[in-house]
Amino acid sequence: MVRVNLLGHVDQGEVGTEPYRVDRDGRSYVAVGDGGTVLGLRLGESVFHHVGDHAAPGVCLVHPSDDARHALVGLACLGNRVTVRTGHAFGHVGSVLGKRGGGQRVIAVFPQDVLARLRPGDQVALLSCGQGAAAPVPGLTQMNVAPAALSLLGLTVQGDRLKVGVRAMLPSRFVGNGIGRPMAMWDVDLQVDSDTAATRSLCLGDLVAISDLDARTNAGYRRNWMSVGVVVHGASPQPGHGPGVMVVLSGPAELFSVGVEGEDHQPLSEERLISAAKGEGRDDA
Amino acid sequence: MNVASNVDRLLTQVLAGEVWPPLADRNGFRIDPEGRAFFLPGMGGVTLDVHVGDPATGYAGDHVEPGLSVRHRDPAANYALQYLSCIGNRVEVTSGPAKGAAGFVIGQHAYVLVDMDSDDMRHVTAGDQVSVFAVGQGLVLHDHPEVVVKNCSPALLAALQAGTTSTGQLEVHVSAVVPPEAIGAGAGMASEYANTDLMGAYAGMGEDLSLGLEVLRVGDVVALTDQDHRFGRGYRENWTTIGVISTASCLLYGHGPGPSSIMSGPAGAFKVVIDDSANLSSFNLGQPRGTRE
Repeated sequence: MVRVNLLGHVDQGEVGTEPYRVDRDGRSYVAVGDGGTVLGLRLGESVFHHVGDHAAPGVCLVHPSDDARHALVGLACLGNRVTVRTGHAFGHVGSVLGKRGGGQRVIAVFPQDVLARLRPGDQVALLSCGQGAAAPVPGLTQMNVAPAALSLLGLTVQGDRLKVGVRAMLPSRFVGNGIGRPMAMWDVDLQVDSDTAATRSLCLGDLVAISDLDARTNAGYRRNWMSVGVVVHGASPQPGHGPGVMVVLSGPAELFSVGVEGEDHQPLSEERLISAAKGEGRDDA
Repeated sequence: MNVASNVDRLLTQVLAGEVWPPLADRNGFRIDPEGRAFFLPGMGGVTLDVHVGDPATGYAGDHVEPGLSVRHRDPAANYALQYLSCIGNRVEVTSGPAKGAAGFVIGQHAYVLVDMDSDDMRHVTAGDQVSVFAVGQGLVLHDHPEVVVKNCSPALLAALQAGTTSTGQLEVHVSAVVPPEAIGAGAGMASEYANTDLMGAYAGMGEDLSLGLEVLRVGDVVALTDQDHRFGRGYRENWTTIGVISTASCLLYGHGPGPSSIMSGPAGAFKVVIDDSANLSSFNLGQPRGTRE
C-alpha cells in the first residue's frame, strides 16, 4: 500500500445568500452543522437526535483548490491518521471517519477538547492509505477504509463469505443523494427519518447494509448485490437526503453473510478509532 | 387536461439562452455499469436524430440530450432560465442561419432542452442565441390542492390526458410506471432543475441491471412510484410524481434516461392510467412560426 501525506484545512461550512432551506414538507429551516467543526455530536449517538442537517461528529476537512480537494476526499480512508499542524490544537491526533459528496469534505473525529480548540483554516496533515486494498474475501471490492481500521468493523471470514454485523439492512430504494456518484469520493444519503422502522435506532458509526446496490465504482441498482458502509453523518430535513453512509465493501450478495443486529449493534467508538489511527501513523512501514 | 387551474393568472417572461457546446475533460473516459471505459457523445450542443416520440434507449451515447442544450453565461441568469423554463414553452432561435426557427422545451437537464423540426435543427449550433417564452411556474390546480405542479406549461397542461374524475382524483395518462428502485442521480436535488436519472434502462446490458425501462421513449409521460418531488426529489412511500422523459441513453452507472417532474402528490390524489399515446409527440406542442403560446 502507498501512503500519501495530504494537506487539509479545517472547514467553516457555507450558507448561501438566503438563510433558509426547505424541508420535504415545504417548511423552511436554517441548516445547522452542515460542514465545519461540530461540537457535542459523538459517534454512537442517534443520527436523529440533534437539530442538524448532515451534521458530522467532528470536523470537516477541505482544500481550497478543487482538484486537491478531490484528491483529499478520494484518498482519505476510515482510520487514517490526522495530525493538526497549526493553531491552538497543534500536534493533536484524530482519525478520519469518512467523507461526504457534493460538498466534498473529509470527516475526522477528535476528542471534544481538541475539537473545541480547532478553528476554520487550521491545517492538518492527513496520512492517507487504504484505496486499492484487497477485500478479505475474493470477489468483493473494498474501499475507503485503512488496513489498520478494518479490524474495528467486526468482519469475519467464513469460507468464501464475509460475515458482517450491521444495525440495519435497507433495500436500495432508500438510497438518495449520492446514487450515481463515485463511491471513492461520496457517501450515499439514506432517505429515512425517525419514523422509518428499520433505522429507528440508527447511530453515527453504525454499519449498515444496502441490498441491490452495486457500489464498486458509481453507486447503482443491481439485483442480488450488496453494499456495506459506515454511517458518517446525521439526518437531514431535505427531501432525498438523510444520514450518510460511506461504502466500504460491495459485491455479490452471496459473498456476504449479513447479520442484522438492531438494538444490539455496537457502533464504532471514538477512542478505538483514534487509537487505530495513531497506530497507523507510526513510522514503521 | 380537463381541470380547473389558474392558467389565466400566469405570467410569461422572455428569457435569453445560448446553445451550449458539449464539454469534456482531458481524461475523456467515463465508466459504465460493468466498469468498462467509454467516450460517447450526448450532453450539450445540438443533438440531431433524437426527437420526442423516439426511443430513449439504445443509442451509442451518454446522457443524450435531444435537440438543443441551452444555458446562459451568467450563473444567476442561468438559474432563472433553468428554473422558469417549463415543458412546452415556445423557443425561438434569434441568431445564426436558423434565426426565426421555433421549437419547444421538452425538459431540463442542467440545460434547457429544446426540440424542433430536423430541417431547422441542423442549422443550429453552439453559440446560437435563443429566446424562451417561459410560463408555467406557479400553476395551481384548484380542485387538487395536494398536488403540486411545476415545470408544466399551460400548453402541456391542456394537452395532457385526462383531468378531474367524478370522485375528485386527478386522472393522468402515462405510458409507463417507474418503480422507486430505478431512481438514480438527481435524488436530493431541486425538482425545478435538471431531471431524475432512471436506472434499469441499460438496453443490451445485464439482466441484473434491468428494471424493464428499456422501452421508454423521449417525451413519455411517466408515473414515478413512491416519489415526492414537491420541494426537491425524495423517496416517500405512497406518493406519486408525474414526469416527462426529457433525456435519453446513459451508460454512466447510476444514471439513465430521465424525467423532468411536472406533478407530485399523495398517490391517492391521482388516478394513473396506462396509455401508450401519453407522449409529447402526440401533443402537437410545436407551434408555427410567429405565433405565441
